[in-house]
Amino acid sequence: MTRYIVRRLIAVPFMLLGISFVLFMLLYIRPGSAAFAAIGSVGDADPRAFEKFEERFGLNRPWWEQYGDWLWGALQGDLGERLTPPHDDVMGDIIEVLPNTLEIGLLTIFISAVIGISVGVVSAVRRNSILDYAFRGITIMGISIPNFWFEILVIYLPALWWGWTPARQWVVFTDDPIYNLSLAVWPAVTLALASAAGMARFVRTSMLEVLFSDYVRTARAKGLRDRSVIWGHVFRNSLIPVITLVGLQLGAVLGGVVIAEQLFTVPGLGRLSLEGVTDQDYPVVLGTIMVFSFVFVLVTLLVDILYTVIDPRIRY
Amino acid sequence: MAQEQSALELEYAIPPRQRFNPLKWARREPFGAFGFALIVFIVFMSAAAPVLRTAPPNEFAVGPPLAGPNTENWFGTTARGKDVWSRVLFAGRISLKIGVATVLLGTLGGTLIALLSAYAGGAIDFAVGRVADMFIAIPGLLLALVLHSSISADLPDLPGLQNEELYLVVAISLFFMPGTYRIMRGIVLELRESTYVEAAQVVGSSSFRIMWRHIAPNMFGLMIVITSISLPAAILAEASLSFLGLGVPIGGLDAVPSWGADLSGSSRRFFSVAPWLAVFPGLALAITVFGFNIFGDSLRDTLDPRLRGRI
Repeated sequence: MTRYIVRRLIAVPFMLLGISFVLFMLLYIRPGSAAFAAIGSVGDADPRAFEKFEERFGLNRPWWEQYGDWLWGALQGDLGERLTPPHDDVMGDIIEVLPNTLEIGLLTIFISAVIGISVGVVSAVRRNSILDYAFRGITIMGISIPNFWFEILVIYLPALWWGWTPARQWVVFTDDPIYNLSLAVWPAVTLALASAAGMARFVRTSMLEVLFSDYVRTARAKGLRDRSVIWGHVFRNSLIPVITLVGLQLGAVLGGVVIAEQLFTVPGLGRLSLEGVTDQDYPVVLGTIMVFSFVFVLVTLLVDILYTVIDPRIRY
Repeated sequence: MAQEQSALELEYAIPPRQRFNPLKWARREPFGAFGFALIVFIVFMSAAAPVLRTAPPNEFAVGPPLAGPNTENWFGTTARGKDVWSRVLFAGRISLKIGVATVLLGTLGGTLIALLSAYAGGAIDFAVGRVADMFIAIPGLLLALVLHSSISADLPDLPGLQNEELYLVVAISLFFMPGTYRIMRGIVLELRESTYVEAAQVVGSSSFRIMWRHIAPNMFGLMIVITSISLPAAILAEASLSFLGLGVPIGGLDAVPSWGADLSGSSRRFFSVAPWLAVFPGLALAITVFGFNIFGDSLRDTLDPRLRGRI
């Protein structure tokens, strides 16, 4: 197991290197547009202004120099400057908004795990009951309702009915933790809808698989109470695949955060990223998406390691 | 003796191949049948949009601005007096078109890459696997963001697929390809070691023949399953990207209506006074995705029960 973990740890930097290369090359394809977007919006497109701009940000150098430079900076925690004035430090901007995104992401995963697992367990234990059918109907609707539409409804319908709407003026956690949580809970709950529904369905099938296994029959045969069979034997064993799902869902949650931040006007990584795309400010795009991928790779790694710890049968 | 032989025959008798009976299937999988009915309904509505519409979808002032649902404009009108019912109808076309094109490219591409690289094995298999890992590690929507600022303006206009539509297809299918590849690679590796592939090799069949005649047919069922599961996700992805303003162009007389785009940007200002603008496009999208989801679910249970809960 130690060997497996070490091997995975060694793979992480190579993975990130590969991702950064792919992203850089994708964004490098259109280097001229960056200057145009930055200067074109300021004044008339004077070719000398272009040259000066490209000189200033080193955009006229060959790609390997630019990439090498970026990589060297990134290793030291410097992701370059924004191309759009006032040329903020990209890393600084990311650090400012990252906690908000992580907060919403973690809250989402937490809510979706709590709801998803409870609904899934009840559904499996009371399978084919009216409750089970109701839950199955609700969960399949949950994965079908587009997240951003659900968010729109949550924002606008209460406003229409009761003149109330979730507050959208963001306050940082350290300034006012309780008020901050009351804000963060809305994007998290709406984002959790789809992942909780997916989780519930997955937990249900996973529980059912275990429910009909031989060792559960043995446990029942030796006279264990229903409660201890379900929690001690079925639940614990069916949770193992569920952990993988949490890791897999993170990708969707991170994508969903981009939209949720937009709708709930949360100053987060997703909004910064989208800002970079609309401004064609590619150091911002590259930096933010690298951070997203970094988080994703780390969590996937954690999940895989956790997997081997929880289920000793798994040997890589 | 005769009895013994018939017993043997019984044991080795191949059960008669059951013909697929849609009615029987519908009775066994009522949800799936309902999903199929929904899909047929949505395809019909989108196809018949030019007939069922009450006004051209991009025409201004076909009714009073921001009128609620009424007998003239069934789903109400937008701030510029466009007819929401007609827009919702026409938007189904882009959803289905992008969804189908994406899933075809993603599933076929992923399967083909898996087939070639896993069969070749060795360094090629390893390299392709690492590239897939990389693409999986970039969350799908964010990869689409990067692609929008990099390739979208350079894409050509294909017949039937405009530049922006092609961008959507490429961006979304790139999201499905690595996942499909991973599942399919496992199958190819398993099949490559099977006795009948070995037999084919011994007889001297070419690699191409083995891949095409012996391995590919065994991947077909799984391909259908992956397609049916990815399609609703692709439709959702198209709507999400259009919602973020990265999809089909918004505004203009020849602009294509899209459920996602109609929920975004400029129209959002009016949602609190004209909720029908928010409700109907979203509802249409949700019903479409719902139909594909429950149909895909039943299809997976029928074709490959092992995958239940896996994909």
